[in-house]
Amino acid sequence: MSKPILEGRGLSKDYWMGPSRLRVLHGVSLSVAQGEFLCVLGPSGSGKSTLLHLLGLLDRPTEGGVVFEGEDAFAKPKRWRDRMRNEAIGFVFQFYYLMPDLSVMENTLLPAMICTPALAWPVARRRHRQRALQVLGDLGLAQRVHHLPQELSGGERQRAALARALVHEPRLLFADEPTGNLDTATGAEIMRVLARLNKRDGLTVVMVTHDERVAAQADRLLRLRDGRLLHGA
Amino acid sequence: MPNEWLAWPWLIPAIAGGGLAALALLAAVLRTPVYKHIVCLKYLFCGWKAVVPMVTALPAAIGVFLLILVFAIMNGFAYDTREMTRGTLADIIVDAHMEGLPYYDEFARRIENVEGVQATTPIIQTYAVIRVKPRYTGIRPIVRPCVVLGIRPAEKAKMGRFQEYLGRERLVKQIQEQTDAVLEALRASPGPASTREVQTYLILDILEAIDKAREAGLCSFEECALAVQPTVKCLELLRKGASLPGDAIREAARGLRSLRDSLNERRVAPEEVLTVQAGRRGDRRQGAKEPSGCIGGIGVIGTPMPHAVSEIVQAGAGWRVLLAFVAALALVVFLFVWQAGRRHRGRRLWRLATWAWAGAVLALALEATFIPVVPSRTERQEVIDFPLVDYGGDLVVSTIPVRASGALDVEAGGIPKVSSRVLTLVDTFKSGYWEADSTNVYVDFATAQQMAGMDAQVASDGRPAAPARASQIQVKVKDPARAAETVRGIEEAWQTFVRERPEVGPLHLTVNTWETQQRMILTVVEVEKYITALMLGAMFVGFGVLIGLISYVMAYIKSRDVGILKALGAHDAGVGSLFLGYGFIIGAIGTALGLSSALLMLHYLDAIELWVNSTLHINVFPREMYYFDHIPQHLSAEWCVAVALGVLALSTLASMAGGLLAALKQPVEALRYE
Repeated sequence: MSKPILEGRGLSKDYWMGPSRLRVLHGVSLSVAQGEFLCVLGPSGSGKSTLLHLLGLLDRPTEGGVVFEGEDAFAKPKRWRDRMRNEAIGFVFQFYYLMPDLSVMENTLLPAMICTPALAWPVARRRHRQRALQVLGDLGLAQRVHHLPQELSGGERQRAALARALVHEPRLLFADEPTGNLDTATGAEIMRVLARLNKRDGLTVVMVTHDERVAAQADRLLRLRDGRLLHGA
Repeated sequence: MPNEWLAWPWLIPAIAGGGLAALALLAAVLRTPVYKHIVCLKYLFCGWKAVVPMVTALPAAIGVFLLILVFAIMNGFAYDTREMTRGTLADIIVDAHMEGLPYYDEFARRIENVEGVQATTPIIQTYAVIRVKPRYTGIRPIVRPCVVLGIRPAEKAKMGRFQEYLGRERLVKQIQEQTDAVLEALRASPGPASTREVQTYLILDILEAIDKAREAGLCSFEECALAVQPTVKCLELLRKGASLPGDAIREAARGLRSLRDSLNERRVAPEEVLTVQAGRRGDRRQGAKEPSGCIGGIGVIGTPMPHAVSEIVQAGAGWRVLLAFVAALALVVFLFVWQAGRRHRGRRLWRLATWAWAGAVLALALEATFIPVVPSRTERQEVIDFPLVDYGGDLVVSTIPVRASGALDVEAGGIPKVSSRVLTLVDTFKSGYWEADSTNVYVDFATAQQMAGMDAQVASDGRPAAPARASQIQVKVKDPARAAETVRGIEEAWQTFVRERPEVGPLHLTVNTWETQQRMILTVVEVEKYITALMLGAMFVGFGVLIGLISYVMAYIKSRDVGILKALGAHDAGVGSLFLGYGFIIGAIGTALGLSSALLMLHYLDAIELWVNSTLHINVFPREMYYFDHIPQHLSAEWCVAVALGVLALSTLASMAGGLLAALKQPVEALRYE
């Protein structure tokens, strides 16, 4: 097994509901190898999304830590985690989370827009645009680049979200129930794309889902229940 | 106005500083990630929700418009009132009241040695009753109270704008301006009917002014007749509807120019403004050694009468402004609808509609740019002070002399002795400052001294009994901004003078700047100005609350976008500043709209006022009430900059409500729930 790109060490997460504390993750530890397709399977409310948010550096754990590419992510400044999310990590969400005011092309260019100063944009735009067109073309959205998200079907929206997650060539892709809001056929198509990216391009994928059939396509499966892993990482 | 702006000493450093600050701001903004600009502009101008910032910008635009317009007009009132008051008086007034100041010339010389003093002149001031026999039969003689001011004209001319306010001086200036206007109008021949009408009016107007100049003794009948003959020929041709031949225009121009130049050369010298010219109509004291003329305030020797006043207006200017407004509004609506309806762009009907709309906007803009602004004559009824006495007419001025002891001269039986003088009206005075124009009668210093009983008294044995006195010494300073320091210097000089000349005796002398002396009227105008600005400024509190709410609601509605941006690596501060930019741009749109409309309105203010007057018959600015011949305006660059910066700062600060909400939002909170 190749060296881990991501490690979760004793991850716990508490939420406060007024005066009472709710612990949704109980010391979860796991490791993700470079080029691996890992799936975390669990029922609704088991803490899958919370785990994904912690691993994806979107949220801070109450206890434990995340090591990303050998660096203790939460020992680093917040700006470092922001930069990692922008440069090295891609996200695909169940509800696509495309910005409704931006066209498919603009949504796809968002990661590039976030890291490029306005002054450099006129020059950098052409390069980023070519890359975005390439990714959108690969995902079959070449004819939809100027459309707004509400003008797309569910599958097209998820492919647009995937294009946004892939455009900056991340080293790690997080997918939170990527097929949860799609019909079976469209969901299967998205899973084929993820599998292809993993196999062909060697992209590391961490996916959470409650669907056994979707989870079956992963290299490795972890089961999460009530905030605890049932099988060791 | 532009000259005043250029004269502003800090203008160039301010422009340089402002430019550098703007460049630094632009550089800082351009160094920030581009997503903020793109997303912010999308929020502002994309989709039907863009109506929110547009509507929010409106109160800011209205506020800026009103604040600049009202402040410029009120500032104009204050400025013109100050200028008129100051022009009538002097920088500093050393006032000995009716008791009178002895040895005034000696003290005046001492004042001249005080640092900062440029010139001085003694003044006699006494109260009188004036009796005027009008030149028109059937009108009873008018009797009015007045203030007699004894002046040394050459010295008084150095004090303020006294010389500029004299009727003959204004007449010469008026003829000069009218000559230029007539020559310009004649050069435009042949022109449209309105131009012909304007030419006729301008010629009639200058002929009337030349006739007044003749009456005032500025030129002889023969001279005037010779000079205006070719112009009268042009007038006859215009009335017949014939076109003006080039020769006729050249002849008219030559005649008018020669008269203008000759009048300019014959301007009355300051020291002669009170001298009665020999051979003048009504002068019964030909060869008199002492000047016996007087200058009457236009309100003293005249009476308010309704009068039809013709005025040249720029017809079309009002329409031009209106069309420009409509074009700008149509453009904004067009851009908004074009952006908002992007999903319909493929449809043929939509394409046709957008092209039609764009064409309409362009047509309106072209119409507003090229609509002819033709000079046209309009007439309106005004109440003006109509002089009841001709130049050279007699005025009887009666005073009660007050002696140095404070006693009145009395006749047998203890009745106060009234001193009456027949004076010849040699000129009129109009400053625009009603207080002065309706009461002041200027006479020669020595004459006024006798009328006030302030001349030197001689005892029965021929020895001097009491020295001559003056009511005031007016002082012109080198730097008006340092007048207060000069006042202190004069007060010290007075203390020294009293010590050295104890015979001056105890005297209540007040030394004031013109501003302190006229503080009542000036303070009222200033206070009104600031109260109005304060009330209008309070509008901006409402605007601030509105923009704060809008940005907060926007950040709340867009919280998922905030989550997405943060998930993709945007910093908290960056996402927060997106909403600050949102507020800033709304403020900038409002400021730009308000500022440009206010400047446009101020530029065409008189034309618009006359247009409203003639088209809607609403007398917006009754001139007889305000005693200004135009709506005064004095736009201050500092004020415009302060208002613009204030609105921008307020809108940015207020939008911190949304900015903070967005910056503090955790991405997982925003993305957790659907």
